[in-house]
Amino acid sequence: MAVDTDVARLRRGDLNALSELIARYQNRLYRYLLRIVGQPAEAEDLFQQTWLKVVEKIRSFDESRNFEGWLFTLARNLAIDHLRRIRPQSLDEPLADSGHSETVADRIPCKDHTPLDHALAAERRTRIGEAMAALALIYREVLTLRFEDEMKIEEIAQVTAVPVSTVKSRLRRSLEQLRYALEARYPGGTWQ
Amino acid sequence: MSEHDKIRELLALAAADALTSAEEKQVAEHVRSCIACSNELGAWRPIASELRRLPTPQPSSWLLQATLARAESKLAEQAEHDWNRREMIFVLSFAWLLTIASWPAFHFVSGRFGSLLGPQFSHTWISFAAFTALGWLAGGVAAVMLAIRQRGERRLA
Repeated sequence: MAVDTDVARLRRGDLNALSELIARYQNRLYRYLLRIVGQPAEAEDLFQQTWLKVVEKIRSFDESRNFEGWLFTLARNLAIDHLRRIRPQSLDEPLADSGHSETVADRIPCKDHTPLDHALAAERRTRIGEAMAALALIYREVLTLRFEDEMKIEEIAQVTAVPVSTVKSRLRRSLEQLRYALEARYPGGTWQ
Repeated sequence: MSEHDKIRELLALAAADALTSAEEKQVAEHVRSCIACSNELGAWRPIASELRRLPTPQPSSWLLQATLARAESKLAEQAEHDWNRREMIFVLSFAWLLTIASWPAFHFVSGRFGSLLGPQFSHTWISFAAFTALGWLAGGVAAVMLAIRQRGERRLA
């Protein structure tokens, strides 16, 4: 597998391997960090710290483990430490700023949809994004790992270091809170 | 808790594709005959669908370049550290070899080469061994102190 090859090359100190790993995970890792800390400047700093940690710890990485899970665990630990250090109260509080930027892919028009459909879809996503940012950290985290990073429940359990049953319970609660938040803000399903 | 209530608790997870195959089957069977649960599942689906389509924030190219530059410097630092360690191991091994080799040479010069493997140790021979051990001990303490100081400096940096 390409990731395994890159990891083996990085263990030998190959900078190109690191470059390829960064290119492979840059968007997902940055998005995950941004969903956790909320501030782009903090997410950028943590992004750099995560990759430096990868370089530092790659020799002790157990190759039988999944690199992706290990990478996100490193990022998570750094993000949690950061939040504990600078905003101790923020671990259970919603984000103040929940800005999103669009990808190139998001801007590619689909021939089956009109400009109005696109505008409505963008509006729906903004509403969902805002409601998600208002959730507590553990709920934002599980939502982004499941829906945006498309991780399996077992992988999320590995990253967050909790049992599978806890992940499922967090996922259910996060969806319920998200739905209640949307219904409270947009009664009658008008968020859609 | 009734079967209906149990299934209802699984509906959000069903929309998130987070059920086991047995649970999925159970939900599918129940939803076919229960309109309330079918509607409830229908309410969860657009939320799950929109969550999957949230825009992905992109890291800037500046961030990627800066990350690579810092990682490169870290890799160089690690390579230098490895080289220093190898160098230290070589120097230590060489020094030990030299010390061990100097013992029979010392015996030979002092005219006692024949008793090299003998159990008797002369006063001079014991003094030489003690002096060597003391030298190594002092060197070892200095190396440990330097390593502790270097680690402290690295932490501060």
